Amino acid sequence: MFIYLYDEAATPTLDLGGITNYIKDKLPSSQIEVRENFITFHLARLERRGREEKMSHLAEELARAKVRKLGAPLNDLFVPLKGEIGYERRRLENQNKRVAGILYDGFVLSGILQGLLPPEECALNQVHIVFTNQLFGTWDEHDRRYHARVSIYNKPSLISTTGIVEAPAKPREYYLLKQQYTALGMYDAAEVGLKGNFRGRFIDYNDERMTRVMKGYVLQALMHQLTGEPFCTDKSCRLYNAHWQEEVIRSQVENPYDLCPAHERMLEALLS
Amino acid sequence: MPLFHSVAEKDVTRAIVSSFLRQFEQYADSDVIIVGAGPSGLVAGKELAARRLKVLIVERNNYLGGGFWIGGYLMNKVTLRAPAETMLDELGVPYEEAVEGLYVADGPHACSKLIAAACDAGVKFANMTIFDDIVLREGNRVAGVVVNWTPIAALPREITCVDPVALEAKVVIDATGHDACVVRRLEERGLTRTVGFGAMWVEMSEDLVVEHTGEVHPGLVVAGMAVSTTYGLPRMGPTFGAMLLSGKRAAEVVMGILEGITVA
Ligand SMILES: [Zn+2]
Repeated sequence: MFIYLYDEAATPTLDLGGITNYIKDKLPSSQIEVRENFITFHLARLERRGREEKMSHLAEELARAKVRKLGAPLNDLFVPLKGEIGYERRRLENQNKRVAGILYDGFVLSGILQGLLPPEECALNQVHIVFTNQLFGTWDEHDRRYHARVSIYNKPSLISTTGIVEAPAKPREYYLLKQQYTALGMYDAAEVGLKGNFRGRFIDYNDERMTRVMKGYVLQALMHQLTGEPFCTDKSCRLYNAHWQEEVIRSQVENPYDLCPAHERMLEALLS
Repeated sequence: MPLFHSVAEKDVTRAIVSSFLRQFEQYADSDVIIVGAGPSGLVAGKELAARRLKVLIVERNNYLGGGFWIGGYLMNKVTLRAPAETMLDELGVPYEEAVEGLYVADGPHACSKLIAAACDAGVKFANMTIFDDIVLREGNRVAGVVVNWTPIAALPREITCVDPVALEAKVVIDATGHDACVVRRLEERGLTRTVGFGAMWVEMSEDLVVEHTGEVHPGLVVAGMAVSTTYGLPRMGPTFGAMLLSGKRAAEVVMGILEGITVA
């Protein structure tokens, strides 16, 4: 298996070298290549004129992938505003900055990035895992709203360093306190002050545990590629699909074992 | 012997009227008209006037400063996140660090200094003046605003057949807060759309307001909370730091537009 890992430079605590070693340990026969930011890398492969055209097109596509209402699925007919396309265009030129606050539709986003992959890198045994600080979500038909997600397993797979902070729910007391702050109109204080109170109980931006946590998500992406099923029901397994920060910390940081016995056996069988 | 010099009542009246009219006549044609004298409008005005541009700020209230006086919950402390404290340094407003990266200042001190800085830079104000409509020129370029006295809008319809007047400008800034009054007028004419309020990740939206500050339509720049409304950015998050920096960004955008106009 050929694995391409794409870096996310805005998160200095994300160490792709550490993740590479981890994959090597799990899948010794795989070949791993670490690359810079996905968009920058693939745009650089285009000729100057093609690149210009691609960037204008991408800017519009990205603006269209923006979720406008959490309670409504994307509308294909929506034409983005000039200022929104301009924002995306500036972002394309500076990929190493953290994107703030905009939620994109994860599958649409993955589809847009797929358009940048050259045909020779689209074989079944080639896996692209993109680290990004973009926040994305998926539409849930059951409660008819978008939910932020840490990862999308697709071609390419996306793993969000912003999503790991924002998507899994924080301890309930966090939200209660936050509500009290914002009711007082103290938005800034809510953001900066609360984080101090709950330090350690959730994965934060530039968290020192980032690399360790992300190993599990990369493993999920690889399991998705190998078996079609990225998740496990064992709360201590790296493949557990965590919805709470406490669950993330349990399955990725304080895990008594790396993979559950069942997945350990499955991996062995796959390798033999 | 009386303390004050004696003047005739008629002289007081003449002083007010002639001074007002001189200014009103002069600013019927401005370089930049800013609608809204909240923090983003004031910063934009101060920056532009400091570059020797003729700047008029239209404000519907009697007072200037918008919500900058009181912060949240009528507690007159305002909080700002780094790097917005550099604006307080510029204005000479004292502040203290609440926690790392978060600064707190007195609302009245910060607000009054900002208003004074705008006045010192040469900004003129039309307060108690309500934005009524936009002035469009060829190619639907925004070229000014139509205004009226604020009390007119509060009077019963049958006695308010008072026509508004138009003020021209090379560029207009919509700094009307979450109402985005100027952008909405364009929208009513089918010339642009606003996205409305988003429901996204509040704590990270401050950057977005600054980054989306810019020209929404030829001749119209949007700043401050009006940016949120125009682009559907999260409503709760944007705070005073974003308002100040958005004002600064709006001024830069206006400078760029004006350079383009003089070249063309
Ligand atoms: Zn398992």
